[in-house]
Amino acid sequence: MTQQVALFVTCLVDLMRPRIGFAAIRALEAAGCDVIVPQGQTCCGQPALNSGDRDHAAALAKQTIAALEPYAAIIVPSGSCAGTIRCHYPEIFADDAQWLPRAQAVAAKTHEVMAYLDDVLGWKPDGVSLDATATYHDSCSGLRELGIKAQPRRLLKAVDGLKLAPLAGEETCCGFGGTFCVKYPAISNAIVGEKANAIDATGADLLLAGDLGCLMNMAGKLHRDGSTVRAFHAIELIAGMGDGPAIGEEP
Amino acid sequence: MNARDAILGRLRGAAPDAAQAAALLVAPERPAVDESALEAEFLARLALPSVSASHDAIDTIADLPAAIARYLDAQGEAPTLCLPPDPRLDPCDWRGFTLHDVAAPAEVAALAIARRGIAETGSLIFETSPAAPMLPNFLALHHIVLLATRDIAPYLEDAPLPGTQPRAHYWITGVSGTTDIEGTYVRGAHGPRFLHVILLRG
Amino acid sequence: MSGFDTRAAAALADSTLKTAVERTAGTAEAKRTLAVAAFPDFEAARTRAAAIKDHVIAHLGHYLEQFEANAIAAGAQVHWAATADEACRIVVDICRKANAKNVARSKSMLGEEIGLQHALAEAGIGRIETDLAEHIIQLADERPSHIIWPAMHKTREQVSALFKAKHRTPHEEDSIAAMAESARRELREQMLGADVGISGANFLIADTGAVCTVTNEGNAELSLVPPRVHIVTAGIEKIVPSMPHAVHMLRMLARSATGAALTQYTTFYTGPKRAHDRDGPEEMHIVLVDNGRTNMREEGLADMLRCIRCGACMNHCVVFRQIGGHAYGGTYPGPMGAVLTPALDGLAPNRDLVQACTLNGKCQEVCPVRIPLPTLLKGWREKSWREGLEPTSMRMGLGLWAWVARRPALYRLATGLALRAMRLLGRRGWIETLPLAGGWTRHRAMPRPAASSFMAQYRKERRP
Ligand code: SF4
Repeated sequence: MTQQVALFVTCLVDLMRPRIGFAAIRALEAAGCDVIVPQGQTCCGQPALNSGDRDHAAALAKQTIAALEPYAAIIVPSGSCAGTIRCHYPEIFADDAQWLPRAQAVAAKTHEVMAYLDDVLGWKPDGVSLDATATYHDSCSGLRELGIKAQPRRLLKAVDGLKLAPLAGEETCCGFGGTFCVKYPAISNAIVGEKANAIDATGADLLLAGDLGCLMNMAGKLHRDGSTVRAFHAIELIAGMGDGPAIGEEP
Repeated sequence: MNARDAILGRLRGAAPDAAQAAALLVAPERPAVDESALEAEFLARLALPSVSASHDAIDTIADLPAAIARYLDAQGEAPTLCLPPDPRLDPCDWRGFTLHDVAAPAEVAALAIARRGIAETGSLIFETSPAAPMLPNFLALHHIVLLATRDIAPYLEDAPLPGTQPRAHYWITGVSGTTDIEGTYVRGAHGPRFLHVILLRG
Repeated sequence: MSGFDTRAAAALADSTLKTAVERTAGTAEAKRTLAVAAFPDFEAARTRAAAIKDHVIAHLGHYLEQFEANAIAAGAQVHWAATADEACRIVVDICRKANAKNVARSKSMLGEEIGLQHALAEAGIGRIETDLAEHIIQLADERPSHIIWPAMHKTREQVSALFKAKHRTPHEEDSIAAMAESARRELREQMLGADVGISGANFLIADTGAVCTVTNEGNAELSLVPPRVHIVTAGIEKIVPSMPHAVHMLRMLARSATGAALTQYTTFYTGPKRAHDRDGPEEMHIVLVDNGRTNMREEGLADMLRCIRCGACMNHCVVFRQIGGHAYGGTYPGPMGAVLTPALDGLAPNRDLVQACTLNGKCQEVCPVRIPLPTLLKGWREKSWREGLEPTSMRMGLGLWAWVARRPALYRLATGLALRAMRLLGRRGWIETLPLAGGWTRHRAMPRPAASSFMAQYRKERRP
């Protein structure tokens, strides 16, 4: 029995690192899903929502809901975008009798990709191997809005040859915060500087996380600091794509 | 309009349901206390670094002066004591002590009788009364507390007495301490630097 | 640069500040973690604490009247103040009537909030801050930088130098214990000579009329018992229905603030000295202060009135840990300050506070009364956007993004062009400077995007 799922790619993955989207498709297909990519999708509206721009956030939310609601399950390779749809869409339409039920219905069937593979499908990568040591950063929205903590670690454990090195302060924010990092660059830099030091101190070859925004922030800082740690979205390793170019190695 | 009416005017609403307020107290989350071993539980808390109290035990109230003399001697202090005017201390023979009943600004030692001890936290519960002044217990360098073991109760909920409240009701859990400089704990910024509990058994 | 930006930049450049904040907040974080782990079901306890405060806030008028009646029955005098100025006037009047030359103050954030120290100074009344940290702040003529550790921003070396310059018989040995001893010597006589003692309240007990203070030094009791008059200034949200409710809140407060099971000195004051008592004040006055709280209750910030001022949110805040408390510019720093300050002092001058947050949610996770601080900050952001307080560049940028993002075909075209332009700027995978994104590339590199977007590649590789 194949389960049909829709992939919400997220604007950042679409533009900056398509491999994450393809990795999600590959893992979902390996887990027996039939993956559709609805064409009407762009951005979930999170930047507008977090900036207080309620009108634009609502407009983008409506577009996203309309694009995704025909599908049985919606899978997102980002904890913060999945969190926006699951937790915040119903809040946006709390006083809108017409859109609230639609927002709630979409929210209920939206899942972050690793949580879906592990919690819902009980799937594990099979025959995937990578000889490396990785450390994992828990991105805040996924961790605190969706409770994503054990799932990526369980999935990564099934990758042959991959060792996980614990990251001191793994639950501490990396200082990205969406528009925060450009509105308050100096504060953001101080935060990510400490994060980069902690990552380097693990001695790991790879940095993994579940949110591209945080990964770009940390990888960009590691690169500027001259670190050799390479960064991937965890789903890339889980899907067997950990041998490709890391973030910042796009040909 | 005066401030009282202005504030209360904006806070009008349904009267609180007493049952609802009580329901908020059902089965409170709190540290487990072995109620069959209250004294041991209490003493274990007293010894925690955050409480840092020492203790001794006596069988009758008449043994109290000797216990205090022992303690002060071990601390290298002279046998001088600020004593509350409490008739329960009448059986004590204070020969050898310099006593006073008004505490000096730099009082060395003061005795107080705790109304209760709380095993959950190692707290000592006091109330003011004409026989129980409050200030000496804060001025003294050494606060010496008499506590009857039968007055040890398991939980903080057991600390308050129902009915009319005393003028002040105070719970002491350890020696005066501060972490105001770099978060580092040091003893005695203001209150007693030493807390010594003498258990009255039997 | 805004005032916030300037202060934050100064803080970031101050490595001593970073050391000081890290030492105290780091210790507090570690101790809280241990205390919470040792407590059976802290999550359920947080839910209960939130429910107790919600119950009180929903019935605040009734509980305040009940408290007032019981406090009066115990012999206290109860005053009401709608504003900070009114509260200060009441306190100064009481001090004048008592012919007070000196007041001893036990640390109270409400006192800071209403500007009591200035009001006393203007009235020519001497003030002795008795809390060790407040004493440090007073000697340095600074403002508190944390609600539990007001002198968190100072290192031991700075405190040592300050005491050596200002104390009559300062410490000789350079240990923290010796510094505390120096303060004890300096303050003991001074506070015993005060005419009036002023405190805040951690809790007001409705069914007994008692005022509860919590200190770890015993300075509250030494400040409040000897003087002839005790004045309490308390926010109206400090009420709890009864002693057992207070017990639950005390358990939460101590663990969240310092990791202790209970703070060393927890005292409940019920009226003035009774007949034949040997000590205690002859008069006790309680000033119940609104100062914007009824507004908050009506304007979507009722959740914030649950706050018990434990400081956990700031100890765990990545932004606070970098910039310390002074950068926030208000009485209350950190996440709770970012929510409260716009309510107390207006949004326009404080719009940075509600923006300078990554919305990582850690504060909400540790808050003992489950205040949804990120949600409240987002509420302020919406207001700021509606009122046009956000910079034009941000408004136009987001507006343009949203306009394009709502037209998927145009979006694919526009982003495809942007990607191509962006790729031209990078070499070997990284872009080191990116026009319009200087905030990013000043501190970190930007990964060079792939040759085409996911959507373009997907359409090429797969069936539509
Ligand atoms: S908001 Fe919560 S965590 Fe912060 S001070 Fe208030 S009660 Fe403590």
